[in-house]
Amino acid sequence: MTRRILIIDDEDDIRQVAAMSLETVAGWDVMLANSGKQGIERASAEQPDAILLDVMMPEMDGPTTLLKLKASGVTSHIPVLLLTAKVQGPDQRRFAEMGVAATLFKPFDPLTLARQISAALGWKEGD
Amino acid sequence: MPPDKTVRTAASLPPAEQSQEQKMQSMISALWERSRHTVAERAQLLQSAGELWNDNRLDAATRLRAVDSAHKLAGVLGTFGLPRGTDLAREAEGLFGQATPPDKAEIERLQVLLAELTRLIDRGPNPTV
Repeated sequence: MTRRILIIDDEDDIRQVAAMSLETVAGWDVMLANSGKQGIERASAEQPDAILLDVMMPEMDGPTTLLKLKASGVTSHIPVLLLTAKVQGPDQRRFAEMGVAATLFKPFDPLTLARQISAALGWKEGD
Repeated sequence: MPPDKTVRTAASLPPAEQSQEQKMQSMISALWERSRHTVAERAQLLQSAGELWNDNRLDAATRLRAVDSAHKLAGVLGTFGLPRGTDLAREAEGLFGQATPPDKAEIERLQVLLAELTRLIDRGPNPTV
């Protein structure tokens, strides 16, 4: 089964390298959004299997976007993984309390990103 | 779990993954070529902010832009195969982000690390990594 992942990140290079990684290594379908607002719209309309969400974004940041996704009946069931360059423990605890499925760290290894997402969500090959 | 800062070497992988690694490395190299101008601009912004800091002329808005640029560089350089760049950018983010004005030693440290960061970015990722 081909997984469908939505990547929400304001940085073009991060979006591109993450998309390349997930498409090339795992064969997943990747959708892209460059803002929290656009990400919510795409998640609502296209119902991805999971969302990879950047924390630091202008206008609507990752945690605010996460809260909106979780507050909507249309998107609340979609697991969200936060992608962050910050490594502080208090942030991670706060994210967990907000309903995030997992926190992944930048910089990521393009060869293992799909594996990290699968492991975090309990996905097995061939699911 | 600590951040994974290192892109693995092809030689450390089993044969089936080696070709995948090589294909990915080739794609990342192409993407680096497209991104290096933006990356260099962010490093240049840090250099300029560092010089203003040294002259005691760094305003709050420029300092916040420097924090943001350093944060973005920290997040991306390791993915492009420059883990040392991530370390340096993270250190710069911490220095620019601190609440108190920097002392002489911190300004000197910032100048040294930004010079190294700029050299790393100019050189780019090692194609054999």
